[in-house]
Amino acid sequence: MTAPASRPSSPPNGSGAPSPRAQRMMRLSAVGGAVLMLAGGFAFYAASQVAASRGPADADAVTVTLRNGACEPMALEVPAGRSTFRIVNETDRATEWEILDGVMVMEERENIAPGITQTLSVRLSPGSYAITCGLLSNPRGTLTVTAAAVTAGAPATRPALTAFIGPLAEYQVFVGAEANRLVKATAALDAAVRSGDLDAARTAYAAARLPFMRLRPAAARQGDLDAAMNAQAAYLEKREADPAFTGFHRLEYGLFARNSLDGLAPVSAKLAADAATLKERLRADRPTPQGMGENAERRLAALADTTIPAGEDAYAASDLADIEAELLGVAKIARLFVPIAEDGAPAAAGQVEARLAEFDAALAALRGANGYPSYGAVDAPAREALAARARALRDSLSAMNAALGLGEGDLT
Amino acid sequence: MPKLTLRGAAALAFLAAAPGLASANVSPLDIVQPVADYKIYVSEKLDQLVTDTKAFTDAVKVGDVETAKHLFPSTRMSYEAVEPIAELFSDLDASIDSRADDHEKAEEDPGFIGFHRIEYGLFSKNSAEGLGPVADKLMADVTDLQSRIENLVLPPEKVVGGAAALMEEVAATKISGEENRYSRTDLWDFQANFDGSRKIFDLVRPLIQTDDAAFVAKVDASFDTVDETLAKYREGDGFKLYEALTDDDRRVLAANVNTLAEDLSTLRGKLGLD
Amino acid sequence: MTAPRCPAHGLVTDRRRLLLGLGLGAAAAAACPAGAASLAGNEAADAPESADANAAVPFYGRRQAGIVTPRPAAGMIASFDTLARTPEEVERLFRLLTERFAFLAVGGPVPELDPKLPPPDSGILGPVVPPDRLTMTLSLGASFFENRPWAAPLRPARLSRMTKFPNDALDADLCHGDLSVQICANTPDATIHALRDLIKQAPDLLLIRWKQEGTVPILAPRPDGRTESARNFLGFRDGSANPDSRDEPLMERVVWTRGGENGEPAWTTGGSYQAVRIIRNFVERWDRTPLGEQERIIGRLKASGAPMTGTDEAELPDYAADPDGALTPFDAHIRLANPRTPGSEASLMLRRPFNYSNGVTKNGQLDQGLLFIAYQADLEAAFIAVQKRLDGEPLEEYVKPVGGGYFFTLPGVEAPGDYLGRPLLEAASA
Repeated sequence: MTAPASRPSSPPNGSGAPSPRAQRMMRLSAVGGAVLMLAGGFAFYAASQVAASRGPADADAVTVTLRNGACEPMALEVPAGRSTFRIVNETDRATEWEILDGVMVMEERENIAPGITQTLSVRLSPGSYAITCGLLSNPRGTLTVTAAAVTAGAPATRPALTAFIGPLAEYQVFVGAEANRLVKATAALDAAVRSGDLDAARTAYAAARLPFMRLRPAAARQGDLDAAMNAQAAYLEKREADPAFTGFHRLEYGLFARNSLDGLAPVSAKLAADAATLKERLRADRPTPQGMGENAERRLAALADTTIPAGEDAYAASDLADIEAELLGVAKIARLFVPIAEDGAPAAAGQVEARLAEFDAALAALRGANGYPSYGAVDAPAREALAARARALRDSLSAMNAALGLGEGDLT
Repeated sequence: MPKLTLRGAAALAFLAAAPGLASANVSPLDIVQPVADYKIYVSEKLDQLVTDTKAFTDAVKVGDVETAKHLFPSTRMSYEAVEPIAELFSDLDASIDSRADDHEKAEEDPGFIGFHRIEYGLFSKNSAEGLGPVADKLMADVTDLQSRIENLVLPPEKVVGGAAALMEEVAATKISGEENRYSRTDLWDFQANFDGSRKIFDLVRPLIQTDDAAFVAKVDASFDTVDETLAKYREGDGFKLYEALTDDDRRVLAANVNTLAEDLSTLRGKLGLD
Repeated sequence: MTAPRCPAHGLVTDRRRLLLGLGLGAAAAAACPAGAASLAGNEAADAPESADANAAVPFYGRRQAGIVTPRPAAGMIASFDTLARTPEEVERLFRLLTERFAFLAVGGPVPELDPKLPPPDSGILGPVVPPDRLTMTLSLGASFFENRPWAAPLRPARLSRMTKFPNDALDADLCHGDLSVQICANTPDATIHALRDLIKQAPDLLLIRWKQEGTVPILAPRPDGRTESARNFLGFRDGSANPDSRDEPLMERVVWTRGGENGEPAWTTGGSYQAVRIIRNFVERWDRTPLGEQERIIGRLKASGAPMTGTDEAELPDYAADPDGALTPFDAHIRLANPRTPGSEASLMLRRPFNYSNGVTKNGQLDQGLLFIAYQADLEAAFIAVQKRLDGEPLEEYVKPVGGGYFFTLPGVEAPGDYLGRPLLEAASA
């Protein structure tokens, strides 16, 4: 049965504190006012309001509770447009929650700790989607998105779709080139594993990881491949012993935790094959400006919320190199959009540039003479500082995307 | 009122002759992949240009006139094929590909550098004397062009419009054989220009094939005629000199260039690009 | 009040418009007080106005327009080569040209296309193309017949490739062509518009070889209603002795070819031979020549255009009274061209020239001259014979023919659905 999602019209209100809605309005006017001064354009002001409204404390959130190997409810229904989900993890494992369109990851929230509630805001087109419910092996729930009148107006100065052709094409070229590198590098990794040379395999692993991370904004949406190539033991029922533990991290586990090539050859072969499949999928993919913008935002959110605070490379601790590569992939998108935004929203474009530079500088500051240190040497405050850079970049990118007409209510 | 009848007839006359309306079936997003593929094509041509120019300028610098002469026309082809994009950088276009008449003192002008300055030395004076610095500058400019284009987001209208632009270029300044006036190797350039134009057309063909099959067939026929005509002048790995071109064939080329320029001028509109 | 608006500049470009029936221009001119045209209300950058822009010369007729129809102020000859080889291709070309000629003669609105497409029309005359008395006249050169085996046997008997006369300095880039299109209109803009239309419409069939534009000075009407010949760039009246194009029997003899006679193929009936010459004038030198010498070289008085023996342009020269060439030298241009001896009427032709001004030569002289166009029933008996008589004339010091060609003007198209050149193509398939 499909249970209509609960959308309380009057949100629960904590005594004494301003209501969430009031808090949002206050924050909104502050951001809007600042932007108004900077941009001096109503269109951008309006767009910024839309962007700013995507706060984590959305009162109209749809709540999903993960417990006992299932979602509650198992079936969700929301209108088209932007929806916010509150994901409550009542299991005893850190988990991730994903919305899937077939194998395509529409949106995800990783590393939700036990007992914690996370929110996820996503813009959805009408259709039927699947939701994951805890461990990847658990049955999936459904999410039905119904057609709804689009009400939010597009910014007046929204650029024509044709303005995105060049940037999209350039991104396709980038993706094609990186996918080629990934195919070659995973083949080299596979060869190194088979040759029995542990050091060579470790070097090849690091080299293959970079194009994979640069591709993440586009590739992470390929849910099945992403799971096969980048599964983390933490999300699997039997952790490192789980048969679904494959791909990069399985190799990483062997190469860096067990210091052994035992049993890795089938894994590296599969990884190389998956890389080839990924290349074909990405080649066939027809990118949209909205999708591209969202992909970049999503990766930044994941960096800020999970990857940077918790780390992902549990055995090699090579997270900083990963982060740099992923940032490069995100920056590619951001810098392709900046020139389009410079006309109508120069302030937003400038802010994105500035925050990209800040993020770059923050990473550079961590780099020593011999490259990045082990991620274990990066303490929690340093991680939080880095996560803040990612979050700040995500926010400014979100504002710029909105100004470009790629935000909420801009279904095209 | 005779006027009304006349206008009716006039409108009919025009509609019969008018090209089709811009296709409503092509989404801007459909153009992304052709533009991406064209970027890759351009990048490959520029890689080739850098490689070929290195060999060419090396020969010039060691004074190997015969080798340099031999390499001249084939080296240029990679540039000519992607001229609509290459010439987006006007400073480099001037330093790489300007002709003597672009300069006040023609061949004697110190600003006359690039391919045609070297061509002048090699073919008119049969000497590489004094060409060393020109060769170095050409190599540097070509390398600079490569890196600039690598970082260039291709404007889609320049890509799609490039198909016609190449033909306009040939029609206005090349069909007379004035481009490579010292070496007379114009037919190489022609082939590269046509190839570059056709590449663009081929990339967007799937977008118009269904709605505009007659147009596609007509353009293909023009390109085929050009290829067949130029094929008559193939010799070894290249072409005969421009003088070998008969008046009849020059007319055939000119008419097809004009027709292609005319037909391809509608391409941007058909794809919804301003 | 429904009185037509008076043209602000009183610019009525065709003084003989009444011959073709009253257009709006005539009505407006009639309703406006002579000489009272006012500039008031017109800004400097406003377009000059003429209601005559709405006047049209009928395209359909037994003969093509642009020959015996009045010569408007602007003219052009454009010469083309054509890639049409087979009769089928040639028919396609002729039909296309017929369709364009017919449309441009009447004008009309240009359809609006999606602005992302190139417009279907150059737009230089605006969204509604005015007829502007445009005529377009199609003629074929010798090479058209020579290069098409199926057409070679049908070549008009007197059509040859123009050969050099002693004083000629022919520039190959300004000579000959498979076909010529004479374009005439009230304004140069209309002729240019028509040329660009052809080039846009037929890029696969037509390759322009050369073109030359020219103009004819517009005269204010004389109070007595008589007409005068226009002046050329030598300052002399040109056309004084032209046969009267309104005289149909005369035109039958002088201008129109008769198929089946003189060895002419049957299909040529109603056609005419077109001789085109681009004759550069050395105007600086001419202007530095004494008036008397100028007049002796031409054989007319410069101011009035009268023969040396008379006082009025319309008078015929009386060579009988000047047997020794004392007044009109034997080598004066007009006496050589038409000695008015028995038999010389066989070399009559209908001249329809325009003055051209192209710019400056490499030597820093004005590149000006005469776009000479003449029509005749027999090219050899008329233009070629006359030009041979002119060889060596004193005027040669001041003129230099540099281009042109001989063409055969096709018979006309009598009704919509028919097309120019049909008699030729039917003869070829017979």
